[in-house]
Amino acid sequence: MATLSKDQAHFLLLKIHSLTGIVPIGVFLVFHLAINSLRTVGPLQYQLSIDFINNLPFLFGIEVLFIYIPLLIHSLMGFYVVFSGKPNVLRYPYARNWLYTLQRLTGGVVFVFLVYHMGTTVVPKIMEGKTLFAAAPFLIDILNQEFQTWTGRIIYLVGIFSATFHFSNGLWAFCISWGIIIGQTAQRNAGVLFTLVGIVLTLLGFATVMEFSFHPIPVTPTVEG
Amino acid sequence: MDAKTIKLKIKRQDKPESKPYWQEFEVPYKPLSNVIACLMEIQRTPLTADGKQINPVTWDANCLEEVCGSCTMLINGKVRQSCTALVDQIKQPIVLEPMSKFPVVRDLQVDRSRIFKDLKKAKAWIPIDGTHDIGEGPVMSDSLRAKRYVLSECMTCGCCLEACPQYTKDNGFMGAAIFSQVRLFNLHPTGEMTQEERLETIMGKGGIADCGNAQACVESCPKNIPLTESIADMGRQTSWQLLKNLLLK
Repeated sequence: MATLSKDQAHFLLLKIHSLTGIVPIGVFLVFHLAINSLRTVGPLQYQLSIDFINNLPFLFGIEVLFIYIPLLIHSLMGFYVVFSGKPNVLRYPYARNWLYTLQRLTGGVVFVFLVYHMGTTVVPKIMEGKTLFAAAPFLIDILNQEFQTWTGRIIYLVGIFSATFHFSNGLWAFCISWGIIIGQTAQRNAGVLFTLVGIVLTLLGFATVMEFSFHPIPVTPTVEG
Repeated sequence: MDAKTIKLKIKRQDKPESKPYWQEFEVPYKPLSNVIACLMEIQRTPLTADGKQINPVTWDANCLEEVCGSCTMLINGKVRQSCTALVDQIKQPIVLEPMSKFPVVRDLQVDRSRIFKDLKKAKAWIPIDGTHDIGEGPVMSDSLRAKRYVLSECMTCGCCLEACPQYTKDNGFMGAAIFSQVRLFNLHPTGEMTQEERLETIMGKGGIADCGNAQACVESCPKNIPLTESIADMGRQTSWQLLKNLLLK
């Protein structure tokens, strides 16, 4: 393969930005919200799902390769995208122009939220070496405490909404950017469909937050046998 | 006769590098006037609303029927052609500003050569000239002709670029007009033969991947060209080209 020119690298990086938003980050978001909503079924079901993840082989490698690196690429390119344009939604207040502006805004919010979210969960988990069955009670303890205050709850509600909005609107932009959806009617219909996707994901996330907030139940480590 | 007048507020600039300033004008009302008619009135009687003698306001105009695009400016904050901006249909005082994404030459005149430079870069034409006769081109179906006709109505006025949040004065983004022209010429059976050259230029910096899908372009296009369809179609064509480049070359 020939070496890339500066122009080709620019194009490729933006395409990777668009792709990583859906695979793996978007897919991860959907699974993350869906699995976490097991908390609304019961603390045990929720704990078992965390146990399952924390007992996966090569967990750290999977996380780095499929979550942290793509997230980092998507964020860095995202900051480039934000600063390459200049929102003008007040002069041209069309619906799609609002979504353009909000897409950039929520991207920034999600970035800040993720620094907080990972700083209070994954980072202490790794620092204190809580692996396998020890991870679930440790993480659930942290979350129970975080959801004690309205500040904690609001941080999560804003963070989750920003993420689901950014994802569902990004899904639409992905379909345009890769030319999956072309016609104006198709674009409008896709917009309706992805709005529904966004609403469902937001409700999933909010239900989990509510469950944690109003029923903080501590758990003990799962024992083998 | 009643002394009905038309009030205007115009952003003026004497030289490309000088500071802009505002002046207010009042011209006698004439029924069915457009903005150009008001500017012509100021040219005949170059007086501000408070009676000061000034150099007349300059502007660009040509066809006066919204097919040349040269009289494009910001009217009451939004970009449009001044020939089809009818005084009876817009709010007064009528606020006129030059387009903000292009360098001002003087008053309401701007230099839009960036658009033409980008069209040249994208090879927005069909090469038929050569050292020998290349014969007749393939036949075009009528449905394709109809599809291309709509795209061919672009008059390079720059409304889509002015309204685009991704198109700034200095970032080199090509914008909807260029992508739509690439689509127009790639759709042509003879133009299709050189489509790769066009695709490669919009796969560079400032190309199609920089589009942020704000879709302000299609909202502000005076010719109702389906610019967002063109952008999505270019997304498709460049995505295939990317795959070809990665897998076949």
